[in-house]
This record gives sequence, C-alpha cells and structure tokens, in this order.
Amino acid sequence: MDFTWTEEDAAYRARIRAFLERELPDTWPDIARHGPGSAEQTAFSLDFCPKLAEAGLLIPHWPEEWGGAARPAWEHFILGEELWRAGEPRGAQYMNVNWIGPVLMKYGSPEQKARYLPEMAQGRAIWCQGFSEPNAGSDLASLRTRAVRDGADYVINGQKIWTSYAALAGTCFLLAQTGDAGGGRSGIAIFLVPMDTPGIEVRAIPSLIGHGDIHEVFFTDVRVPASARVGEEGEGWAIISYGLANERVGIPRYEMASHELDRMVAELKARGQFGDSVVRSRAAAAGAACEAARLQVYRVVDGRARNLAPGSDSNLARVAVVTAEHAVTDFGMDFLPDCFSGTDHPSFLSHHERAIVTGIAAGAAEIQLNLVARRHLNLPKGA
Amino acid sequence: MRFEPNDSQATFAGVLGQMLAAPQAGFQAVPDWGRFDYGDRLDRQLAENGFFDAATEDDLGPVAAALMVHNVARAAVCVECAASALVRPFLGREVPRPLAVVVDDAPGAIRYLPQARGLVSITADAVHYADLPEGAVTRVDSLYAYPMGTVDRAALDWQRLDADPARLRALWQVAVAAELAGLLGAGTEAVIEHVSQRHQFGQPLGAFQGIQHRLATAAVEIDGARLQALRAAQSGGIGDAAAALGYAQGIATRIGYDLHQFMGAMGMTLEHPLHRWTYRARLLRADMGGSAASYLAYADARWGAA
Repeated sequence: MDFTWTEEDAAYRARIRAFLERELPDTWPDIARHGPGSAEQTAFSLDFCPKLAEAGLLIPHWPEEWGGAARPAWEHFILGEELWRAGEPRGAQYMNVNWIGPVLMKYGSPEQKARYLPEMAQGRAIWCQGFSEPNAGSDLASLRTRAVRDGADYVINGQKIWTSYAALAGTCFLLAQTGDAGGGRSGIAIFLVPMDTPGIEVRAIPSLIGHGDIHEVFFTDVRVPASARVGEEGEGWAIISYGLANERVGIPRYEMASHELDRMVAELKARGQFGDSVVRSRAAAAGAACEAARLQVYRVVDGRARNLAPGSDSNLARVAVVTAEHAVTDFGMDFLPDCFSGTDHPSFLSHHERAIVTGIAAGAAEIQLNLVARRHLNLPKGA
Repeated sequence: MRFEPNDSQATFAGVLGQMLAAPQAGFQAVPDWGRFDYGDRLDRQLAENGFFDAATEDDLGPVAAALMVHNVARAAVCVECAASALVRPFLGREVPRPLAVVVDDAPGAIRYLPQARGLVSITADAVHYADLPEGAVTRVDSLYAYPMGTVDRAALDWQRLDADPARLRALWQVAVAAELAGLLGAGTEAVIEHVSQRHQFGQPLGAFQGIQHRLATAAVEIDGARLQALRAAQSGGIGDAAAALGYAQGIATRIGYDLHQFMGAMGMTLEHPLHRWTYRARLLRADMGGSAASYLAYADARWGAA
C-alpha cells in the first residue's frame, strides 16, 4: 500500500494549478456563482475549454487517435480534482471528456465518432443527458420515452426532466424505449439527438442550484435517422453502465469542499474567531470527513487504474462524499452565517448551492446505501 | 497511490489471517462470565513469528503494522498488539512486551497493565519508560472488555527515552484508530450475521431498509476510519494521525449503539461476543481526550494557531 503521490503526479498537479492561476480571470468566482448550467458559465466554458485543449489539459486520458495523449487514469483524476477545486470551469463539458466521449469511442459508429468527438476534443461541445423522467428517476429502468422505428428513421415521443444544461446544449444523449413502454432495461436504446431537431421543447425549471441548471425536455414526434442510434436496440443499459463506470465516483466534490473549508477557516481567522475550541473541533471534523471521502474515492480510482471490475467501493465512496459535503456546508452556515445571507462570498454560496445536490444527482444517496447493504454487506433482500 | 498491498504485506496479512481464524482466537465463554479473554496463545504465536517487528521492516512498514493492529482487534480474544506493533519499535531501545501506554499521565486504570512488563509514558515534551516489577500492578475489575490495572506510577523507575514525543504520540493515535476501526468492523460483522438469520415479521431483520441503511452508513464510516489510519501510519504526519483518531472516535458512539440495538436482547448477554468488541471500543473512543481533543490536535496541525 502506498498513499503517496509520485513526483510525476505532483508535478502534473502543480502544472494544472499554475495554469488555472494564470488563466482564470478575476471575475471567475462571480461567473461560477451562476451555476454550471447558466448562460454565463456555458459561455465561459466555450472560451476556456479550447484553452485547456490547447494546453493538453482537456482530454489527456483520451487515446491519441482522438486527440488525447493516452495518459494514465490517475492523471485524469488529478485534473478533475484541480478543476473542481477551482469551481469547475469546464461547466457542462466535464461530462463530454469524462464519459460521453469514451462511450462514443467504444460504441459509436464511425460517422458518430467523426461528427462528435473532434468538437468535444476542441472544447466546443455542450451536451445534455436525457435520462430522468417524471416516473423514472432513481428507478431509471422504468423510463417510458419511446422511439418507434419508421422506415429509415425513429420517431421519439416522451418527456425528460431534471435535464441539466438542456437549454444551451447542442446534442442530447437520450435514453428511450424501442419496444413496448415499460419494457425495462432490455428495451432501452441510446440516441444522439441534435437539440435543434423539430419537436423538441425545453422548459427551464426554477431551482435552488442556479438559474438554467435543470429543465424539462418534451419530445413530440421528433424524427431522427436510425444512424443516430448508438449500438443496437436493447443495448442501451449495457452502454450506459459502461459510461457511468467511467464516472464511478462522480465528480470530486470533496476536493471543492475541503478547499472551501480552508477558505472558511481563513475567514474566521481574519475575524479573530478561530480560537474557540468548539469552532476548531467542528472544522477538523469536517476536514476529517473530507479526508475519509478522499481516500475512499482514491481507492476507486486505483481500481480503475488497475482495470479492476467495478465493485461496491464506488457506492461507499459516494456516500462518504455526501457526508463530507454536508459537514463542510453545515460548518460554514453555523460559524459564518453572514457569509451565506448575502452575495459577498460567491465561492461559499456556489459550494452551498451545489452541496444540496450531492446526495441526489447521479444516484441518490439512499440508492447507494441500498447497494452498500446488498453488495458490500451481503444483507438479505426483503420478502 | 496504490491500495493493493505489496507482496510482502499480502503474505504477512495472509499468515496473520490464518492465526486469527484458528479456534484459540475465537469466542469462548470465560469462567464466571469474565468480560475479556486474553489470547495467550495468539500473543505467543505473534511474538515468536516476529509479527511485532513489522513496522521497521522495509517491505512491511508501519502500514502493515497498523493493518495488524486492525485485524488483531477483530478477534474475540484480546491481545496487546497496538503498543507492541506501533510504539515499541520506535522507542529507540529494546523494551519487553506486552507493553502498556499512558498519555499525558491520564488518571485511572490502564489497559493491558496486568499483562504488561513495561509502561511507556508519552507527554508533551518527553517519552519515558519503566519496567513493571512483579506485584506492582493491581488488577481492576472493569466494564470494559480489556484487562485493566493500576500502578503506583510515582514508585516506578522511569527512564527518559531518546524518542520524539510528537512522533510517538502520533504513532499511538494511529494504533488506537486502527484498533477502533477493527473493533467496530468486527462488531458490525457479528450483527450482520445475526440480522441475516433472525426472522421477524416474515423476513430477516436485515432485509428491513431501516436497518440496512444504518448498517451501510456504519460500514462506510468504518471503512473511512480504517483508510485514514493506514494512510497516517505511512505518512507519520501529526495531522493525519489526529484526524484518523478523531474520526474513528467520532463514529464509535453511534455505531456502538446501533450494533447493540440491532442485536436486541441477545446483544445484552455475555453469551454472545458482541460486547467483546463494543466495550473495547467504548474505552478507546474516550482515549486521549476523545474525539474533540483529537480533532483539536488535527486543527492545530492543519490550520495552526488562531
């Protein structure tokens, strides 16, 4: 066992941090404050991601064939940590480089790869994922949006909800049933749907996590060619499982939380309020929760780096990250209440707003606990 | 960053596992329903095979020693392992074992004192050692599932050691954190076995989501405690050690409560081994000032003075 970084890893991290300090403008905290799905952040990402690409810091883990440098999994993860620590200036584009691109490389047709991968590699593509529906959230397999074959096309009808980035996305990574509605996992197929296709209507949902972040998307007789389908009919569940295995631990939220905790402590010190032992002890408890989550996430990345099959470690890590996020948020609200009642501290507010999502997005915390109970503890199923 | 043990560590853990799976490490009732069962045979086996020297061996190191403390704590019998595995190798001179440790001259009974041949005292500015003469220790009946004892500390022949007290304190924090994580993990496994077999309301208790989620949360936290202890063992960092101990102590109370809750009345008996783990954990959760004091030490290391 070795819990230290190699010199190469440390140098890579330092290079990213130096790049971000040099390239992120002073206005970035205020831009980030608007949330990753906002018009402000989206516009920023379309300017910033090409700079990352030019510096070799957008898709270093992708194969050289598609513009990457085939760098190891750990470097990809360090990159994600540093970018998330900085407030995630890639905005929605983190999804492209983390899993949508890799899915297309494995399952996409030559035409799909040629059409979509280059613009992702250049940092110029905004995607949304059409997964959740009004009656298919955590129980994703029960989705009801249907794609019916009609000659050389599919005609799609249905509704998606909680769709991040939909208003500004160019393409939707859509899950739909090609068989009977309610066909479960075996009937799911994936379609790449340009968002300007006639019949798509997007409505923003006002939310706690920033304007423009979540949407309803309605599909009414949306016609797409069969060439928009990824893989075969019925293969969608396997494909999405592969894609999300690339995202086994989601985004490294504990890194932003730990960074914000340091900022909170700095603010308390500046106010002369970090001498109280209750405050110090609570800060340390939040810090230790972040460290627990960090190590549990690192173990998952280690498994990925060694090509181990995904196991329950990722479920443990996801729960630990939720706990850490909440511990830091609670600490800030308890001891710096004024920083959360106005808008003078945008990074605290950004973290606070995003923390509420942590246990809901990308697999609810309760689902993770179910999986820990079954997969990790081998607890029995109910009658 | 590598979470897989190296070959030597894997072999070490494998052989240790075989020793711990042997009947002499398992649960047996003690005459007159004593609260603890000292594993004399396991202790001898570990000592004779050099297991307590792992921390200073290049291919094994403090991580293997911490893992050993963790795994030995999972046995129903108790063996003085934490001090021997992680403190004794770094005292700068040979001392006999079993060994007992007292920090900041904390008052009261000390665990493993009845078995110990020496006592280490760690304070802010020094590390001292004293042999324990025959008859010096008074056994103490205790709620906790450790052999406990007291000694007239002023009467001992203390020798100041050439050892860094901050480093020794950190090693002891790692040892206690690893032991605590092992105890909580073993207790959880015992409860999982019970709730998987015990049927009520037409299904196993462990199929109820209310129980599943609390056990799953405990598993996540115990895992986080174990990993922090192992990392701190390797880094030797004062902050890492304090964080690991604070975290392990912080989760111990609620998990201990839940384990007894899910075991029901069976968990209140001395016929079931759950108390062997939970009542050791109860002592360790308050060691060195408990979670709050450990966290204050972590805050000092991470953020410095106010």
